[in-house]
Amino acid sequence: MSGRVDRVVGAMLALSGILGALEASTYDVGFMTDPVGPKALPYLVCVTLVGVGVTALLRPRAYVVLPDAAALVRMTGAVVAFLAYAGALPVIGFFVSTTLVTTALSLLFRGPLRGSLVAGTVLSGGLWLLFVELLSLPLPIGDLWIR
Amino acid sequence: MDSLNHLISGFGVALQPLNVGLAFAGVGTGTFVGMLPGIGPINAIAILIPVTFAAGIPPESALILLVGIYYGSQYGNSISTILLNVPGTASAVVTAIDGHAMTRAGRGGPALAISAIASFVGGTLSIFGLILFAPLLAAWAIRFGPAEYFALMVFAFSALSSFAGGSLVRALVSTAFGLWLATVGLDPNSAVPRYTFGRIELLDGMDFVVVTIGLFAVSEVFQLLEDTQSGRGAPSIAGKVMVSAKELATTGWTMVRGSLVGFLVGVLPGAGGTLASFLAYSTEERIAGRSGRFGEGDIRGVAAPESANNAAANGALIPLLTLGVPGSGTTAVLLGALLGLGVTPGPLLLEEQPDLFWGLTASMYVGNAFLILLNLPLVGMFVRALSVPRWILIPGVAALAFVAVYAVNGSAFDLVLMTLFGIVGYIMRRLDFPLAPVVLGLVLGPLMEKNLRRAMALSGGDWGVLFDSPIAITLWGLALASLAAPMVLSRLTAEVTGGPSATHEGGS
Repeated sequence: MSGRVDRVVGAMLALSGILGALEASTYDVGFMTDPVGPKALPYLVCVTLVGVGVTALLRPRAYVVLPDAAALVRMTGAVVAFLAYAGALPVIGFFVSTTLVTTALSLLFRGPLRGSLVAGTVLSGGLWLLFVELLSLPLPIGDLWIR
Repeated sequence: MDSLNHLISGFGVALQPLNVGLAFAGVGTGTFVGMLPGIGPINAIAILIPVTFAAGIPPESALILLVGIYYGSQYGNSISTILLNVPGTASAVVTAIDGHAMTRAGRGGPALAISAIASFVGGTLSIFGLILFAPLLAAWAIRFGPAEYFALMVFAFSALSSFAGGSLVRALVSTAFGLWLATVGLDPNSAVPRYTFGRIELLDGMDFVVVTIGLFAVSEVFQLLEDTQSGRGAPSIAGKVMVSAKELATTGWTMVRGSLVGFLVGVLPGAGGTLASFLAYSTEERIAGRSGRFGEGDIRGVAAPESANNAAANGALIPLLTLGVPGSGTTAVLLGALLGLGVTPGPLLLEEQPDLFWGLTASMYVGNAFLILLNLPLVGMFVRALSVPRWILIPGVAALAFVAVYAVNGSAFDLVLMTLFGIVGYIMRRLDFPLAPVVLGLVLGPLMEKNLRRAMALSGGDWGVLFDSPIAITLWGLALASLAAPMVLSRLTAEVTGGPSATHEGGS
């Protein structure tokens, strides 16, 4: 795939630069705050993006190695686990959700089932003790258990 | 002698029990994360920032801990480099050449010992440099106005983009991405929401802790998931962790020269430990001439880069503390920590908060003393930690990252953002975009914009003010010159390693 990925990336960068500049052009201030205003830095960034995007389009680099399918499946698993964790944390609380997500991650790294469960439980319990009991950093208990 | 008095009162701060404990915790954590693949100082510092905020410890104590991780990681870095030939950061690539050659020749113990000693020499000598030069630079920088600061920050960006390794175009994309992230949220001058797309959570802007942990730690987890098969056995140290008096004598001047080179390079933004270790190594190779066995396990080939990269790390603290301008991803995170602690680094820091500056420098002596203990007699303990299986280690790191990200705002939305940045970071690594400039852009962007707008407000909208003073013109010149640096650097790299070097993201 000679440089195809690089061309796609370059086009995306140039496009986001144009869209970003269009968005920035709406940042109007009714009164005069300073001579530069809120648009200058966004414009600078967007011009840079368009410039480098076009450069990548015209002079793409040849190689991009993609991960194999099994690795992509494992990574997708991790993404799903992290997003589910973000959703579950306020509901089922820090201890249960962290045990679940760390166990899942252990399994993705080919840990043995029982070992992963033990490691996950010990880890979440230990972190709860450390942060909540020792450092009094508030972590969610879980709405489900409070009700 | 003024500095000496200040330093003595600094020891009064550094030797308080809490601060001694935090220095120990910092350098121990630093050695540990510097050694282990997949964590790195930038993640460890980012993870601990919200914890130190929440624990409510005073700023100088928080800084003693966080900076301890920073210079401590320079020691730990070399352990896995020498024993396993896996340099955690680009600055350890040179150490791998002769360090691992020594391990293969059954001299891993002496290699670890000289690396610890050289790190100590580089670490402690450069604190002298810090004490000597920080007040000088601060006195000079008082003359900086907003236009000079703006030019200085542009120099920091161009230097980091040049030295980030790989293509300049890609590094510029990373910088632009970081600056763009910096604009997200309410514009502080006019209260116009920028790039928030109606999300209330984004009005406050992107928190650098969330972005850093996502880009570095989470993407590292994804990257490690690519290859879950390769486990490594516990490495063992061949030979005693000790050097002979003769070896110490041959490396003595090597370490002093390495420290000097490292310190000077470290003060420059962007270049840092990588350039310092390459320069120190090639200098020693040239000095040794035919008597050297560089590349085949010459002990000076370990001493030179290790003293240099430790000295460079400390040298980089000078622009961070006296100008408030960091030159690398990790120091950018430290700047974020300082600002979060309510400390404004700059020329006035030394006068207004002497306890903080002198307490920190004094604690670096304490920390380096701990480090030589941890890395000489106790190094076996750390080496054993290298055999902890990934299925225990990585979930542990991930869980710590979650706690830290949640603690920033107490919001689960930040965990979603973190995951998204993890995906972005992974794609960037895959496509060879450096990550450090993103963090620098994010942390420095608001300051750069503020100084630009202040300069323009003072001049009444005349852009000429940016090029009005000799200092500003010099800084613009330096910024331009640094863009030519990649060519010089790649020639140097090829000279030392005989080919393109492997750089690994992780920040130095």
